[in-house]
Amino acid sequence: MASTIDFRTHVDQSCRYSEEFVNIYYDCMDKKRRNLTRLYLDKATLVWNGNNISGQDALGEFFESLPSSEFQVHTLDCQPVHEQATQGQTTLLVVTAGTVKFDGSKQRYFNQNFLLTAQASPNSDQPVWKIASDCFRFQDWAS
Amino acid sequence: MATADDSRFYSEHDDRVGPKHRRKGRGPFRAPLYSDQISKQRHRGGQGGGGGGGGGGGAGPRSRFDDDDGDIAMTDDSHDGGPQRRFTPYGRPQNRRNGRRGGKDARGDGGNHRGRGNRGGGGGGGGGGGSGNIGDGADGGGGRKNWFKMTIPHGKKYEKQWLLTALQSISSVPFHPIQYHIEGNRAQFYIDDSSTAYALAKVSRKITDKDGYKVTVLLNQCPPPSLPQQDLKLEDLEHLKQCMSKRFDASQQALDLNNIRVDPDLVSLNIDVTLNRKNSMQAVIKIIEDNIPELVCLNLSNNRLHKLDDLSDLVRKVPNLKILNLSHNEIRSERELDRLKGLRLVELSLQRNPLCDHFSDQADYISAIRERFPRLLKLDGHDLPPPIGFDLEVAPAVLPPSKPSYFGSEELKGLITCFLQQYYAIYDSADRQPLLDAYHDGAAFSLILPFSTQNPSRSSLGEYQKDSRNIKRVKDSTTRFRLLKHTRLNVVAFLNELPKTQHDIASFNVDVNTYTNTLLSFTVSGVFKEVDGSSRDSYRAFSRVFIAVSPGNGTMCIVNDEMFVRNATTEEIRRAFVAPAPTPSSSPVPTLSAMQQEMLSAFSQQSGMNLEWSQKCLQDNDWNFERAGQIFTDLKAQGKIPDVAFTK
Repeated sequence: MASTIDFRTHVDQSCRYSEEFVNIYYDCMDKKRRNLTRLYLDKATLVWNGNNISGQDALGEFFESLPSSEFQVHTLDCQPVHEQATQGQTTLLVVTAGTVKFDGSKQRYFNQNFLLTAQASPNSDQPVWKIASDCFRFQDWAS
Repeated sequence: MATADDSRFYSEHDDRVGPKHRRKGRGPFRAPLYSDQISKQRHRGGQGGGGGGGGGGGAGPRSRFDDDDGDIAMTDDSHDGGPQRRFTPYGRPQNRRNGRRGGKDARGDGGNHRGRGNRGGGGGGGGGGGSGNIGDGADGGGGRKNWFKMTIPHGKKYEKQWLLTALQSISSVPFHPIQYHIEGNRAQFYIDDSSTAYALAKVSRKITDKDGYKVTVLLNQCPPPSLPQQDLKLEDLEHLKQCMSKRFDASQQALDLNNIRVDPDLVSLNIDVTLNRKNSMQAVIKIIEDNIPELVCLNLSNNRLHKLDDLSDLVRKVPNLKILNLSHNEIRSERELDRLKGLRLVELSLQRNPLCDHFSDQADYISAIRERFPRLLKLDGHDLPPPIGFDLEVAPAVLPPSKPSYFGSEELKGLITCFLQQYYAIYDSADRQPLLDAYHDGAAFSLILPFSTQNPSRSSLGEYQKDSRNIKRVKDSTTRFRLLKHTRLNVVAFLNELPKTQHDIASFNVDVNTYTNTLLSFTVSGVFKEVDGSSRDSYRAFSRVFIAVSPGNGTMCIVNDEMFVRNATTEEIRRAFVAPAPTPSSSPVPTLSAMQQEMLSAFSQQSGMNLEWSQKCLQDNDWNFERAGQIFTDLKAQGKIPDVAFTK
């Protein structure tokens, strides 16, 4: 029983964290993209419409190459990732969907998901969430 | 339309409220007089009779209707004599106080007529006279021009019908709620008559809802709301489209909508296209978007535009627009033009808008406008010095091209492909219970749907709707928890309840997000159709994240599973299930599905055997990748595989 209560608390907090994360992430993406890579782990990986980019430097370069964006997240879900998969490291799966308008193209629908892991931060005595992996696709990528 | 509504509405109140409350003596006489007059004029006015006639003879308070109608009727009539005589230059500011809407209409009118007749004179102002008329009217009518916002705190939880009926049943006066809507937890609507509003406020806390709460009604005086308009009817839209096509010059890609309100074609059919109303402007933009999205030149002069919010869609929908004429409108501030930022305008006309009067200095005017439209070469017909850029301009950023599946390695490709084939074979079968084997004891599953602002019943994701755990919408933590299915038994029991499906494995796209020695996370997207139930043959698209742990023997065990389901697009439906479906392995000449092809090449690569032998090994093991691998390893260790199997 105790573990159920723990799981519930865990779920509750995950929701809060992911709501906060989504606000920060997409605001950063749209308005302060220069800072975006700070949300990623050093060795984070991104699969963007099938393009694989890993490491902070490559990510920084990639994000800089993207046209400016306006994201609207309509749907959000999250799950605590089972600790057996993460060797005990607190990890969250965050799943989003919505629309994005990149400068110069039409508005499109997208799906995106992130794995966030809690990491010790050099700038704070509290741990911080970092993106370990990020997977993005336009819903109509093939057309 | 709104005007007609108003008139009915006013007269109702004049009829019924008037007598009951103050102004007893006047009420009964006034009310029928107005309402009759209005309704007659609405009908006759359009036909071009003496629409303006009422203006003189009619009672003051209603004169704005006269103006409205007169305007339609007296396209080029002598009736504009009225406003002309009453011409007061720079009469604008005094209008603001009294009857804003009316004032604007009347003014626009005066401006138009005079504009056509004699454009000089520098009389930037419109027919202040019209406003005088309005002012009198509004005051004379006993201040009925007041608007009130009625707020029902926590009104969101009530059915609109229930709430309004309850209010009506105990209100001492009949009322007509305008623009009923929900804001936060509150229900709100507008009343444009003070006695009705106060009567309604008295009803506060007299109704008890089914939960035992008293229904509170709050009252606030407010500026006039922007009134909702009825949508144009389908046949009206068709006429509007024809009218627009008549006004379209294909050689120049130019559309002239100057003063379209009084277009004889529309007027004769009694179609009310007033571009300062949202519904009209939206209809026009939709027609442009659907028929002439390449439009370069658009003339919207003389349309009484005061807000440009409804025009902001042009930026996205008519990206080639270079020449825009907004002259002779009612745009009050250059800030309105921010709505159009992003249009690459080369020519813009704004003369005869109130905003022009804000600038004493021509240079300020030009720079304020050019700030919004840096490529502008012509403003109000005058050439501007061409813009000079900087040599820093770089090629505009473009999106990287999209690629299909990203597996990361052939090994993962084989593993995941095989897993998906097995998983969906069970998922698409009559009983999903065997999926238990695929999940970890502590597995979690949840489902989300795209949030649709449109009618949710039309989105027809009904079967899935109740389980959508969109935490943007679902704020209650108990519900959030309930919608996250936890532990293997719960997950599979839930999956078993979902509609029966058939997945198009050939449509699958897989991205491997993360692969470590303890975790494999990948995203699968594709198309399926429902095969029974009320949504039989509905095509859906999904995107699903699986996180699996590897228990060590090369198989996968799912710990997290998150699925997004939406309706498939027409394009997706068109392409779905066109690739050959997996054929039963008993078939004499097996043709391989795309999935089997992929397994085959992965197996060949990993085993080192040629395709023929790899296929035989897989077939002998019913396309079970793991088992085939195990058998292969065993046989190879025993030296039982002939060399010919490795000859490629």
